[in-house]
Amino acid sequence: MAKICVLRMEGTNCEWETFLAFKRLKGDAEFVHIKQILKESEEERFLEDYACVIIPGGFSSGDYVRAGAIFASRLSKLKKEIIEFIEEDKLLGGICNGFQVLVELGVLPGIGEALSEEKKAVLTVNDSNLFECRPTLLRHVNGGKCIFTRRYTKDKIVIFPSAHAEGKLVFGGEDTLEKMIENDQIVFRYTDSKGDYAGYPWNPNGSTYNIAGICNERGNVFGLMPHPERVFYSYTHPDWTRNSMGVYGDGMPLFKSILDYIDG
Amino acid sequence: MNTLHLVSEVDLIGSDDDYLRRISEDMGLGLSVGELKIIEDYFKKRGRNPTDIELQSLAQAWSEHCCYKSSKTLLKRYILIDVPQNILMGEDAGILEFNDEYAYAVAFESHNHPSNIEPYGGAATGIGGIVRDVVCMGATPVALIDPLFFDPLKGIKSKFLLNGVVSGISDYGNRIGVPTISGMVYFDEDYVSNCLVNVGCVGIVKKSEIIRSRAKEGDLFILVGGRTGRDGIHGVTFASAELSEKSEEDRGAVQLGDPITKEPLIHACLEANERGLLDGMKDLGGGGLSCVIGEMALAGGCGAEIELENVPLKEEGLKPWEILVSESQERMMLSVDPKNLKEVLGIFEGWDLLATVIGKATKGRSLNIRYGKEKIYEIDLNFLVDGVRYNRIYEIKNKEEKIERFNEPRNYEEIFSSILSSPNIASKESIIRRYDHEVGGRTVLKPLQGEIGFSSHGDASVIKPLEDSYKGLAITSDINPSFMKINPYKGSLSAVDEVCRNLVSVGSLPHSLADCLNFGNPEKPLVMGYFHESVRALGEIARELGLPYSSGNVSFYNETPEGSIPPTPVILGVGIIEDIRRSITSDIKGRNPIYLIGETREELGGSEYLKIIGVSGVVPDVNIKVLKRSIEAILKEMARGNIASCHDISEGGIAVCLAEMCMGGNIGANIDLSLMGEMIANRRFANLKISDFQMRSDIKLFSESNTRWIVEVNKKREEEFVEDLKDQGLGCTYLGKAGGDGIRISDKKKGLINIPLDKIRDIWGKGLEKFLR
Repeated sequence: MAKICVLRMEGTNCEWETFLAFKRLKGDAEFVHIKQILKESEEERFLEDYACVIIPGGFSSGDYVRAGAIFASRLSKLKKEIIEFIEEDKLLGGICNGFQVLVELGVLPGIGEALSEEKKAVLTVNDSNLFECRPTLLRHVNGGKCIFTRRYTKDKIVIFPSAHAEGKLVFGGEDTLEKMIENDQIVFRYTDSKGDYAGYPWNPNGSTYNIAGICNERGNVFGLMPHPERVFYSYTHPDWTRNSMGVYGDGMPLFKSILDYIDG
Repeated sequence: MNTLHLVSEVDLIGSDDDYLRRISEDMGLGLSVGELKIIEDYFKKRGRNPTDIELQSLAQAWSEHCCYKSSKTLLKRYILIDVPQNILMGEDAGILEFNDEYAYAVAFESHNHPSNIEPYGGAATGIGGIVRDVVCMGATPVALIDPLFFDPLKGIKSKFLLNGVVSGISDYGNRIGVPTISGMVYFDEDYVSNCLVNVGCVGIVKKSEIIRSRAKEGDLFILVGGRTGRDGIHGVTFASAELSEKSEEDRGAVQLGDPITKEPLIHACLEANERGLLDGMKDLGGGGLSCVIGEMALAGGCGAEIELENVPLKEEGLKPWEILVSESQERMMLSVDPKNLKEVLGIFEGWDLLATVIGKATKGRSLNIRYGKEKIYEIDLNFLVDGVRYNRIYEIKNKEEKIERFNEPRNYEEIFSSILSSPNIASKESIIRRYDHEVGGRTVLKPLQGEIGFSSHGDASVIKPLEDSYKGLAITSDINPSFMKINPYKGSLSAVDEVCRNLVSVGSLPHSLADCLNFGNPEKPLVMGYFHESVRALGEIARELGLPYSSGNVSFYNETPEGSIPPTPVILGVGIIEDIRRSITSDIKGRNPIYLIGETREELGGSEYLKIIGVSGVVPDVNIKVLKRSIEAILKEMARGNIASCHDISEGGIAVCLAEMCMGGNIGANIDLSLMGEMIANRRFANLKISDFQMRSDIKLFSESNTRWIVEVNKKREEEFVEDLKDQGLGCTYLGKAGGDGIRISDKKKGLINIPLDKIRDIWGKGLEKFLR
């Protein structure tokens, strides 16, 4: 069975529920501290041994500077290995703080090259200028490029809760958004309860084009601000007592899609 | 190194009262002359004067904050008796039975004084401390609770305090990854002197991994986590006195929080404990190193030796006494058998955390401290830890409760709107959303409940702490300070009643309580009288309900020359729900019948309604037997699937309760009050004519009588529900039906309120928001 790395450092705090999401589906996940892949620890681990690496949510290193920047800068010592990892079509995903790390690292938006030295996007401070924790509705708009969400039909609306202070995706370069749409790199967009694209609070941070999640051009690097791991089961949905559903919540198919791919 | 100039002898023996008073003031000890004389006597018998470090350490251990010298007598008389069976242990946190394999831990305390001087840091380190209290029992923290009390947001100071406190909780709690799921925000003019910041934490622990705060002879003391600095010096002595305009100078008594050291520290401590490598663990909070090592050694029946020079410091130049009493954050003390030392150090190294051996547990019963080669400290542990105790004089004087006559309002909609937008009733969404309430993925019921985008206040939150069990913990906290100001006895009963109401509303059986008792200066007999009446009531109701107080804290001296706070005993309640998939929320689900459970009386004293019209009334009482029966009956109805939603009636009465239920469900209601109030309005008026028993509509709508709920009954089960309640001998009154897009309330064909839901949401939603930015 292919191995999954749940990568953490001080301040990562959504690793447990992320790890459990894989375990519940019999995935072979393990926690890895960043020291272990940076060869700063006796219990060394190697990126190449994993089929999928997930960077969970949290406040890595406190996020006192731009969110995710320190995690990304520590990871950038492994640039060569990361590029190889991506080019071998393995899966690299980031949720919330993990998404911020992937953008800071330059592997997202991931147009053309696997890792771009030039920054093409940034996840900046929410329009409200506050950390906010609220349920958000997302439309799955991906046409099939993104490996992480293949279990969701196109236009399916899901509830994933958001909890962040810096989730507003802004692009550099006038045609970046256009190119991404053309490449089928937009994965989730915030909507209101009628399924329309709307402003705050439905779009909790003021993100461009209501974007909540994107993937790279190959479809194997994926970042998302809201938290699918918090809605693995239906009973942690924000409205489960009024809108009954089955055992599983909206987040489960995301982890199932990953396992479909890495375990064949 | 020459330590002579670092430690000095204090000339206590034979000094007069004036000199003793001056010593206490100059050294910032906060000890009384009488206390210093006890200390003088102790050292006289040993033929020497104390060193400054010895005196400082005693001052910390003997502070009100650490040794409960004013409250211990009354707490023992009323609260800490007949400890029920489900309390497994009580140290830094109380430990209670969860299931065969697991227990839950509860800790609850105040961080008032620091938060008044430095709201952001004070609130943040309050969270930090309470989380350590739970972790040091070996428990994984799964929930945070934050009851807050402020002056109404009129002046710039109260906005500064509220914003600082909320940001502090948000920034710290969110970073360490523990969800903030419950709490309250209350406004009253009498908090102008001090705001209150109470913090609670609930954790879950395998029974076999519960660890004590003690050391065994031969153990090494390992200090782990943060470095020690000058922040947080004299924190406990500062918290054991009234604040004054000079208190700003004491900002050094407030600690600095570092959540990014705390987050891995939690993991590393729990990992070391799970691997069975620790003999004891205790958090470093109030009073610093000497308190912690003293208590661990005393509990383990041994003595201790500390090498103070080994303590890792933030900056150079700290005097030995400063190192000893510093309350720097993010530190824990482990007692470890030498054979496990290497493995423990390895775990902390793996998380990039400091871990340093600073001493060992020895034979004997004293604490000895060395700095370099010099011995600078030797005190018997019993003398250090036991402290002193006072029987403070109290005077019980309740304000007269009288019903003032006033006219029935002409315009109910106007009164209803002012109540909805008053800061105690208005939506707290703008604060709640700043706390991550679902990190961990365990939060089943959130603080805001209902349709996405339209949610409203719930009664309690529910956590599913274990992966392999559907059993859950419901958590809430309550107090109504307006009741307390008029009648501390009934106010305290009401707090426990409300906690039970909230826990039952979500479908859980009340299981344990914790109390954080915030009062003014205990040296004043009136304040002590409030305290006496409050703990008497808390003890009485809990005993009758069979609920234990698992954890608690007393915070005195919440006053300044401007005045004292209202007596504020905050009660935290934990309920057990056997299957979280059966939890009930407060939002209306469909076009179902709506019933009132419980008796409405003319009890408007301290109510939001009377506050607005400015007259006085009688504070709600509690009939504990009826409360007990109601809890059983409602839970039974829920188990039978008869109840679709449930909400407790508290501030603002039936009117506000209905509004919150309708807003959450985004469904209106048509209500007729005419079936209410046929019962005897108030027993005090039993000699009045029958016509006087017809209760006025404003009293029906806005009375805040205890032990009441509004339930939405599944329409197919209505008959069964009514029969069941009758069998239980409980009053239930048909109020009307859910439906439509507005709230319409009438009484005997007289229309009182007819407002569209959107408008109600707007009034309620913006009540507080306008103050916050």
